[in-house]
Amino acid sequence: MRPEIIKNEPSLFGRLARRISVVLFIGAALLVTAAWYYAETAANKAYDRLLVGAALQMAESLSVEDGTLTARLPTSAFELLGLAERDRIFYRVIDTKGQTLTGYDDLKTPSPLDSARNVLSVEEGVYKGEPVRIARATRVLADPAVSGHAYVIVAQTNEARLALTRELTLRATILVFVMSLLAFVGAMLAIRYALQPVERLGTAVRRRDPHDLTPVTVDVPRELDPFVGSINHFMGRLNERVDLLQRFIADAAHQIRTPLTALTAQIDLLGAGKLDKAGRQHFNRVKERTSELARLTNQLLSHAMVIHRADSVQLEPISLVDVARRAYRAAIPITVDPDIVISFEAPDDRPFVLGDAVSLREAIVNVIDNALRHGTDQRLEVRVRASDTQAFVEVEDDGPGIPPESWEKATQRFATSKSHEGSSGLGFAIAQEVASAHGGTLSFRARDERGFTVVLTLPLFKGVVK
Amino acid sequence: MRILLVEDTHDVGEAIAKRFEATGHAVDWETNGRDAAEIIDFTEYALIILDVMLPGMDGFEILKRIRKSGNAVPVLILTARSEIDDRVGALDLGADDYLVKPFDFRELEARARVLMRRHTGGEATNLIKCGDIAVDRAARSVHVGKREVQLKRRELTLLEVLVARPGRVFSKDELLDQIFGFDEAANANAIELYIGRLRKKLEGAKAHIVTVRGLGYQLVSGDAP
Repeated sequence: MRPEIIKNEPSLFGRLARRISVVLFIGAALLVTAAWYYAETAANKAYDRLLVGAALQMAESLSVEDGTLTARLPTSAFELLGLAERDRIFYRVIDTKGQTLTGYDDLKTPSPLDSARNVLSVEEGVYKGEPVRIARATRVLADPAVSGHAYVIVAQTNEARLALTRELTLRATILVFVMSLLAFVGAMLAIRYALQPVERLGTAVRRRDPHDLTPVTVDVPRELDPFVGSINHFMGRLNERVDLLQRFIADAAHQIRTPLTALTAQIDLLGAGKLDKAGRQHFNRVKERTSELARLTNQLLSHAMVIHRADSVQLEPISLVDVARRAYRAAIPITVDPDIVISFEAPDDRPFVLGDAVSLREAIVNVIDNALRHGTDQRLEVRVRASDTQAFVEVEDDGPGIPPESWEKATQRFATSKSHEGSSGLGFAIAQEVASAHGGTLSFRARDERGFTVVLTLPLFKGVVK
Repeated sequence: MRILLVEDTHDVGEAIAKRFEATGHAVDWETNGRDAAEIIDFTEYALIILDVMLPGMDGFEILKRIRKSGNAVPVLILTARSEIDDRVGALDLGADDYLVKPFDFRELEARARVLMRRHTGGEATNLIKCGDIAVDRAARSVHVGKREVQLKRRELTLLEVLVARPGRVFSKDELLDQIFGFDEAANANAIELYIGRLRKKLEGAKAHIVTVRGLGYQLVSGDAP
C-alpha cells in the first residue's frame, strides 16, 4: 500500500495564506515608501513657500538710501519663518558687488548665485553641519548709485519638515496597516469559504463505505468538476473491475460445481466397504476434503451473490422469524448427528425488518452452518428476539467459542482459527457483509456457562406491514 | 418405491441411481427434459428428483407442468445455478425440497426418504399436546413451550407414541415394535438410547419421560399435582 497522503505537503489554505501575506506585505511596504515620499514633498512644498515668502519679503525690503544699499529686514518675514518653532534660520543679504550686507557671511547657495537670477529656487544644502533648505531671492536694483543684482539667501533647518513628514507618513502607515489587515482577514475568510467544497468532497469520499462504488454526488463548484469527474471515472473503472472479478468468481465457482458434484458422486459410488483399514482412512480424507471444497464453492457463490444483491435489490419489510426459520431448516442437514440438541425459538410478536430475504437467509444459514461445523458439541440454539428498536438472530452453541481477541479476525475472509483445522471460510464474512448492507451488525457474545453466541443485529422495521 | 431421476450429467445420475437402487427403490433415469415430462404424464412415481439445467426442457418447466396437471408427487430439485433466487423460485413453483450442487449424498437420501414418507403417510394435520410439549404430526415439528426442537425421525416417532397416551406405561418391546417395525433388527438397548436422546432434547419442558422400573416408560404432563 502506498501512503494515503504525503504528510509534509502544506495545506492549500496555508499556501494561499502565505502567498497572500507576502503580496500584502510587499504592497504595504511600497505604499509606506510612497507615502513617505509624498509626505516629504508635501512638507517641503509647504515650508518652502514660507521660506520663499520670507526671502521675497526680505528682498523687497532692500532699498537704496543715500546711495547705499540698506537692508531693513521686516519682522513679518521672521514671524513667517517662526511658524516652524524649532527650526533655526540663517540669512545673508548680498549687495550688488557681492559683499555681505548683513547676516551670516559663510552662508552660501549650493549653486552659483547668478545661476538662476529670475527664478525663485529652493535647494538642499548643509550649513554649520546641519542639513538645511536654502531659498534665494534676487532683487534687481536700477538706482544710478547702486545698480545690479542684490541677493537674499535664507536657510532653514529641517526639523519641522521632518516632523510633518513623519506625522503624515505615520498616519498613512496606520491606514495602510489597517487596510492590509482587513484585506488579509477578508482573504482568509474568502479562502476558507472557497475551500469548503474541497473539505466537503473530502469528507464525502472519506465517509464512504468501501464497498460503495457508485459515483460521488456532492455539490461542488465548477472548478472542482474535473476532480470529481476523475474520482467518479476512477470509481466507475474500479466498479467494473470488481464486478468483473465477482462475476468471474461466481462463474468459476459455478463451473467447478458440476465436476465437483460428479466427483462426490464417484466417491459415493466407490464406497468404503471394499477397502482395507489404511485405504479407508485415505478414502475418508478424500471425502472430507471434497465436502470442504463443496462448501467453499457454495460459499464463494453465496458471497458473490450477497454482494451483488446488496446494491441491486430493493429492501422490503420481511418477517425475520420466517426468514430465520427457513434458514434454520436449510442449514441443518437431516443427517446431522442425532446426539446434538437443536432448537429454534421465536417471539410471539413477529418482528419485521427491512431487508432482502434471500441475503438474510444466506447470512443466517452461514452462521448456523459455522456453529454446527466448528462450535457445537451437544447443543445448538437459534433464537429470534426483538427490542424496541432492534431485532436479533442469535445462534448459540455449547462449543469452546471464539476468544475475544480473535473476534475481529473471525469476520475476515478465510480467517483461520487455531482451534480447528482448516479455514472457517467465508461464513462470517458473508453474514457481516449482509448485516452491514442492512444497516446492522454481526457481533459475538463471550462464552458464558451456557455457550458462545453469534448475534446478527438488524434495525427493527417500524412501518405498517402490508 | 419408484423414483424418477432427471439428470443429464452422466456420472452424477449414475451415482444417484445406484444409491437409491441399493436401498431397494426402482429408479427410472432420464437425461432429457422433454422425454421426462412425457413419462411423468402417464407414470406414477413416489418421488421425482429433478435437475434444473436440462436439455430439451428445464427443470422448472417440468415442475410447472407437473403442478399444473394437478399431480401432487413430491419433487426434489437439484440446482447448480449460481443465483439462490432459483431455490426460492423452485419452492414457489411447488417443489417440496431442494439441494444445491454439490451436495452430500447421504443428505439427498435422507431428504428423499422424508419426502416419500410424508407423501405416503397421508397424515392429517393434527397437533397432539401433553403439558408444554406440542407435536405437529403434519409439519413433523415439536415445540417445547415457545422453543421448536429438532427431532430425528425415530425420536419423533417415539415421542408421538408416548404423547398420544400420556400417563400410559409403554414397555420396551411395545416401543420397539412401534418404532422399528418387524423387519428391522433392533434390541432394547436402542430404545434406551432413543429415550436418552429424547430426554436431552426435551430438557426444560415441564412434561417429562418417567422410567417405570421393570415396566417401561411413560410421559407425564407435569401439570398434575
